[in-house]
Parts: sequence; C-alpha cells; structure tokens
Amino acid sequence: MDLLQLKEVSIGYRRDRPLFAPISLTIRQGDLLGILGPNGAGKSTLVKTLLGLVPPLAGTVGLPLQRRPRLGYVAQGARPDFAYPLSVLQVTLMGRAAHLGLLKRPASADRALALAQLDAVGLAALAAAPFRSLSGGQQQRVLVARALTAEPELLVLDEPTSEMDPAAEHALLSLVSSLVASRNLAVMFVTHQISAAAGFASQVVLLDKAQRTVECGPTEALLTSARMSALYGRPVEIRRENGRALVWLSAGEPNVQGGAR
Amino acid sequence: MSFWEARFLWQEPMLAALLGAALLGYLGFFVVLRRIAFMSAALSQLSGLGVAASFLAGSFAGIAPHDETPWWLSPTTFAFLFAYAGAALVTLPSRSKRVSSESMVALGYLGASALVMVVLSSPRIAQEAHEVGDLLFGNAVVVKREDLVQLAIAAAVTLSLHALFFRSFLFASFDPETARVSGVPVRRMDLLLHLTLAMSIAVATRALGALPVFGFVVLPAGAALLFSERLHLVLALSVGLSMLCAALGYYLSWTLSLPTGSVMVALAAGVFALGGLKRGLERLR
Repeated sequence: MDLLQLKEVSIGYRRDRPLFAPISLTIRQGDLLGILGPNGAGKSTLVKTLLGLVPPLAGTVGLPLQRRPRLGYVAQGARPDFAYPLSVLQVTLMGRAAHLGLLKRPASADRALALAQLDAVGLAALAAAPFRSLSGGQQQRVLVARALTAEPELLVLDEPTSEMDPAAEHALLSLVSSLVASRNLAVMFVTHQISAAAGFASQVVLLDKAQRTVECGPTEALLTSARMSALYGRPVEIRRENGRALVWLSAGEPNVQGGAR
Repeated sequence: MSFWEARFLWQEPMLAALLGAALLGYLGFFVVLRRIAFMSAALSQLSGLGVAASFLAGSFAGIAPHDETPWWLSPTTFAFLFAYAGAALVTLPSRSKRVSSESMVALGYLGASALVMVVLSSPRIAQEAHEVGDLLFGNAVVVKREDLVQLAIAAAVTLSLHALFFRSFLFASFDPETARVSGVPVRRMDLLLHLTLAMSIAVATRALGALPVFGFVVLPAGAALLFSERLHLVLALSVGLSMLCAALGYYLSWTLSLPTGSVMVALAAGVFALGGLKRGLERLR
C-alpha cells in the first residue's frame, strides 16, 4: 500500500534556489529507505518536507490514504533539553500525542504500549529513571521507542545512530529492520553510514550535492563503489560477501562493516 | 497589636500574595524551562505601560487616575492589551535572522520601561504621578479588593486552561519539532501559554508589585528544578516554595518593618541558593 507520493517536488527554503532537481518518489508499506548524501546535501530538508514541516517549493506530496500516514519521528541530533524533569516513560508517552489529541490523558493501555516499546529498545528497566540521567545513546533509543509508541505507518529516523556505539547502532537497525517485517510499516532513515544503508535499506535515495541531483532505487543497484566514490568525492569501495556489505572509505582498512541482510 | 490581632489588616494582602505566588510559581515551571524569564519582566513592564497609557488616555477624556473609568478605558483593560500584544509579538515566528526573539523581548522591556517614565512625565498626568506608582506596579502591603478578585479570576482561567492543555504545553516546550509532527499545534499552544502568562503577570503586577512577580516567576521554579527530577514533585515544590516565601515574607516584613515585596523575593532567592547548594553537594559526592 502506498503511503506517500512525491511528484516532481522541489525542495529548499528559497523558491529561486531549490536544493536539487525535482524529485518523484513513492513510499510504500514495507519499504526500508535509506537516505544518503554528503553534509549540506539536503537530507534533513527532504525529510522535513515529507513530514510537512517545510512546504515544498513546487510539486505535490500526495496522500494515497486520503490522510497523512501515522508518523513516528526521531529528529536529527535529537537531544531534548536536559533541564526538563521527565522520566523515560513520560518522554516515551509523548509518542501517543497524535492518538490522544489535545485533551485526552494517557490511559493504562497507552502506558503498557509505551513500556512495550521501551522493552523493544532494551530500556524497560529504566522506565522510571530521569531521562536526563541517561547516556546519549540511551536517550536516542528512548526517542526511537517514543516514535514507535505512535504506532506509526511511516517511521522517519534522521541520523538515528549518531550517538551510538557500533553495537548499539547494529542492534537498533536490526530492530528497525525486524519491525518493517513484523508490523509492515515503512521506515525512512537518514544516515552518513554507507554500511548502514548497504546493510539494512531495501532502497536508497542518493542526494548529490555537487550535481544537485537525486537518485532513487534498489540498494544493490545504487550503492556501488563507483557511485559512492563520485558522491563523496573520495575513494569508496563496497564489497558484498555472504549477505554482508563491507565498506572501505579509503584505500586500506575497512572502517565500517555493514549488517546482515 | 500582635500580628494575629491585626489580621483584619493583612488578610486580603496575604491572600493575594498566596494566590499570586501559587499562580506564578506554577507558571514559573514553563518560564524557567523555556528560558523566557526576561519575557516575564518585559510583560510586567508592558502591563505597566498599559496602565500609564490608560491614565494618559483618561486625561484626554477628563478622567483622573483615581476616578471611576469606563471598562474600555480602565487600567486593567489597557494592561491586558499591552501585555497580550507583547506576548503575541514574541510568539510570532521571526522572519529576520538578525533579530532574535531574545532581542525582541529586550526591546519590549527597555521600550516599555522608558515609555512609562515618558508617559508619567507628561504634564497631563504629572500631578498624580506619585499615586500612579502604586497603581502601575502594585504594592504587596495593601491590596485592593478589586485586584484580589481579578487575581482570582486570572488564576482560575489560567489553571483551567493549563489543566486541559498541560500535556501539549509540555510536549511543545520539550521537543517542538516532534510535537508538530505528532499533530500538536505548537504555535497555537505557545501563544496560549504566553497569553496566560501575560494575563497572570498583568494582574499580579498590579496586586503585588513588579519585583515579587518577577521573583515568584523565576526563583521558586528554578529552586524546585534543583531539588527534584520528578515532574509532579517539581510542580508541587515550585508552587509550595513560592507560597511559603510569600507567607513568611509577609510575616517577616510586618514584624520587622521591612519592605514586603523585597523580603519575599530575598527569601525566594535564599531557597534558590539552597537548591544550588544541594546540587553542588551531590556533585561533590
């Protein structure tokens, strides 16, 4: 089932200066879409346009469901204010806002759902802990749990693993990958890690800052050594062995290993 | 005459101080966390400018500051209008990257403070200026019944709205971008929050004075955040500490013949310092 359809959408903040050529893209249930591109290419702006936070400069963002799909969102560098005296569960429960509307209060079913999502990211034991007492990686996982508490049809993660160590990053992306299968939701994640996109995404969107172009397609067709080298302007080598993607960012050692797919 | 025997003199000012302290202590939770302490000072000055402007307008209509005025020309109406306009202006999205909302608040504070003096120096109302001082910025020692009633109404309206929308105010303050994606009308929630703040400050300033209002909005909530990391406890402490400082401050000022508003604020600052001391000791462990 289609969730969102971008038709010839121009993206940017100034009408006379779109970030790249118009983009057409359909997001369907079950898609696991990786968005890659160098710094400043417009990855977050693309995400914000899809989420309705930034209006498109031209073109249309179609809603095949005749309504906005239910969204779960983790913003880039999402480090909410440490000063707020909120528990991990209270932060997670904010994910119910779209279901509860402005006036309803969370019921026990909402709390149970939030706890289940915390359990899914391995933090149920810290539900009562102050959110600000957690490490950056743990906070990021709480924000993912909050996004899942929204029971999203489309989960949007803008650099979700930027605060995480490799093990936590792999665990989170594995979780997201399993959710795509078990809950039949669509996931779109922005990443700087070529290996993360190579290992987990079924499709990728490549934003080329120099050429101001966008390419969308199956991961294995687009994530090639030649294409990545051109995109980042430095030698990148990608090898696929036994279902794993290995990525070298420069001649020599592989500095990032992709997950199983 | 003992403090208790003189209660007929201080009952209403004490009630106003407790009510104002509770209301402002609660609102302080958002003021401190959203880092808009200076905005509360600007709103207080703007409401004062509204009062001064109503006197000036009244002088053109031949009405003296202490005379009965029609509602549309009353100091309260003008105080609300000026404070609401200030709150709305701060909430509007800034189109200029060169002028931050902080600069707008500073402009409001400085502009209002200066204009109050200019208006009060006008020959049209200069002869009543000595009376206007208390009308502008209140006096916690003597509170008029009318001010107490207005304070009670403002508290009832503010707390009712916050009871309904607290969750949305909190989400919109904590993580506005995700709140927007989740369907929370962040800008409208911000405006509503700022308008309740403007209303409460405009009324409380006239009843208690500018200094206690600023003190109650900032210090008890700041102290509560140092004492606890639990949402409900922080809210309860913020309100409770604020009321404690108001009551104890009034008592001490009465018995020791000290300026009331200043004693209240000094106590609140002391509580804040205690919170800082507690946090400092925790870090040393």
